[in-house]
Amino acid sequence: MKLNVMIMSGFEDGATLTYDPSQGDGQQRGEIWQISIGRKEENDLCLRNDTYVSRLHANIIWKNSRWWLEDCDSTNGTFIENATNFFDDQPIKGTIGIEEEQLFRVGRTWLRIQVIE
Amino acid sequence: MPNIPYRDILIGARQEAFRMRHFFVGVEHLFIALLEIRGSLTAKLMQEYGLAPEYVIDAIRRKMGKGSKQRLWAGIPNTPRVKVLENIAYDIALEAGRDEVYERDLLVAMLDERDSVPLRVIYALGITDFDVLRNMAQNYTINSETQQTYVKVDFGTGFNRDEMLNKDQLFVLRRMFADYPQIRVEHRLTGGYSQATLLVVTPIRPDQQEDATVAVKIHQVDSILDEAQRYESHVKAKLPPMTARIEDKPTAPDSSDLAGIKYTLITQDNQPPRDLRAILNEWEAGKLSQWLKETFFPTFGRMWWSQNREFRFQVWREYDWLLPPILTLELVKDKPLPPNAYVLRMPVKRAKLNRLDFGDMVAVENFVVQKVYAERHAIQLAVGQGTDSASAYKIEIRGIDFNTDTYYRGEVVENIIGTVWQTRGQQLMNAVRALIPDFDAHNEKIPVNVDGLEKVPNPILMYEGLLDSFVNGTSATIHGDLHPGNIMIGPKESAFLIDFAHTREGHTIFDWATLEISLLNDYIMPYAGESWNDARRVIGYLQKLNGGEIPADIPEPLNSHIAVLRSLRDIVRKCLANENQWSEYYIALTFCSLRALTWETVSLAGRRLMVLVGGLSIHELRTRFRPSDDNTEDTEDTYRSF
Repeated sequence: MKLNVMIMSGFEDGATLTYDPSQGDGQQRGEIWQISIGRKEENDLCLRNDTYVSRLHANIIWKNSRWWLEDCDSTNGTFIENATNFFDDQPIKGTIGIEEEQLFRVGRTWLRIQVIE
Repeated sequence: MPNIPYRDILIGARQEAFRMRHFFVGVEHLFIALLEIRGSLTAKLMQEYGLAPEYVIDAIRRKMGKGSKQRLWAGIPNTPRVKVLENIAYDIALEAGRDEVYERDLLVAMLDERDSVPLRVIYALGITDFDVLRNMAQNYTINSETQQTYVKVDFGTGFNRDEMLNKDQLFVLRRMFADYPQIRVEHRLTGGYSQATLLVVTPIRPDQQEDATVAVKIHQVDSILDEAQRYESHVKAKLPPMTARIEDKPTAPDSSDLAGIKYTLITQDNQPPRDLRAILNEWEAGKLSQWLKETFFPTFGRMWWSQNREFRFQVWREYDWLLPPILTLELVKDKPLPPNAYVLRMPVKRAKLNRLDFGDMVAVENFVVQKVYAERHAIQLAVGQGTDSASAYKIEIRGIDFNTDTYYRGEVVENIIGTVWQTRGQQLMNAVRALIPDFDAHNEKIPVNVDGLEKVPNPILMYEGLLDSFVNGTSATIHGDLHPGNIMIGPKESAFLIDFAHTREGHTIFDWATLEISLLNDYIMPYAGESWNDARRVIGYLQKLNGGEIPADIPEPLNSHIAVLRSLRDIVRKCLANENQWSEYYIALTFCSLRALTWETVSLAGRRLMVLVGGLSIHELRTRFRPSDDNTEDTEDTYRSF
């Protein structure tokens, strides 16, 4: 399994990054696979051009056969789209389940995940 | 304007990127550049869907937000997605045998690619089928001449020709009925709070057959498009089977600041429908009372006011927006804030605000842009999300140069500095002075001297404390602007409502307080006289009514008109959160009367009465309707500060 993360807004809008655990991308512990997102270069997904992103901002996690999004106590928050009001994004607390193709926002940058076999 | 070359679009996109402090060109900037070109294909297509270009631009800006001032890279590079789009657009141009990319190529490329921010925004605004839009983009022909078909506009006998429609209103009206050769404007409906133009219009087909009469509202483009959205989300599913509906998309021509919306009406014998205000003086008071209680309230009540849930709130959240701006500031640019300057941020400390004076420097932090008044060079800020009509703590900032600074509705302004031009207290005081008071307007009490009521509190000095108190009320879907001009009488005296610009979830009782204030102005004061003492006499009657007494010795027709208010109070009683706990109603009345006090459209007599109604309501809250001693913990802090 490989994971594509597409950047959906901002300076790098349209860029796609591919992560493959068999190539050593992300961190793997048993059945759990984790990709870190943040402004610092050490992160698997580095958003260096968004000043609203914290140094370590969020994690995308594969666990119990599904995807999870975890906010790492970021300053400006991690958000998902709000079904009832498009302009009022919904902040997430802790960890929530996410689906493929679902958009989420880290700082000012929207992202989307997609699995490729 | 056909065939706009890509290089011209890119110039506009760079300017937009710069204004928003993004410093890169993304698809959103290209799309905004396309919308900003008058008569562009993109602008025309948005109008086909009833969306004004400015509205779409605002929505995109709101979704993106402004960037920070610091730049992390040089130049204004294109995003990877723009590079993809450029390739698709070049391919389309090449296929057509051109080596230059035009607007149409770029737009079709966006619709092929589909993942960009502006397409997500227009999807949220209701354009959900991109295949249809792509088809239109490919085949739409733009005429370089504006093809305004001529619609003949006649005026019915009920139309007052002293108040003719202006050129802009006629333009929008003709656009709305472009499918007809002729229309007849039957009469005006009296507007309310919004100052919009409301008309009853009969469209006439080429064979002179008349189609069903509709009500038309013409107003600022933002308000109309917001109302259409509000209708979709709050109103549509909650309407009784027989009532006014919005069925067509709004009409928002790009060469006008106005837009229009149609409400379908059901009429009988081709008689144009009439609003309750026109009927007030035709119907006998008894019939009016009965109609309100037995027809109007049950028709909408089932889905609206009777579906209320417990709702405890601090008064300012529901009622501050009725008052004038807490501050009007003159913008100050590029000057450091002096160390002793007042910083206005949430939670707002109003006591400090009251000590501000003309010329004092104030910084406002993290307020949201509510309205942009391009022609007045001003913006209105408030607390609360987006464009909710019930946002508290309005602040007006004047002297803005929109050529150098962009503001969009929904934007959170992190910091803006200005000098005080006027405070709310001053504005309210001026409104009272304009009524030539026969008492000292700076005094805490206003003499009344009727039927044992000696004085009432001066509402413009005493409303403050109320704003912080808590109300144990209920919330429900409310109309938000319930006055007789928005209540229509249909066939068999059925009840309709129009004008959903302020419909929302809110304090249930608000609609009824609004209606009572309207009736006092339109139905009571015209028969009572204009002087302060006439207003005082009415206050005497109202005090009796508040106490549940039937006031004696009132001359007709005032007597029967006040009986209508008694019926209205019977409806209010059904909407109270707790039986016979009228305090929530008097709070609503206080703020509704203060709002009407500042309206120039209300008669002098009406505004004089409003001062005293505000005072009487506060008097009732202090005496008769204070919460009883067996307070639950929930109500304990109610009115503590009051």
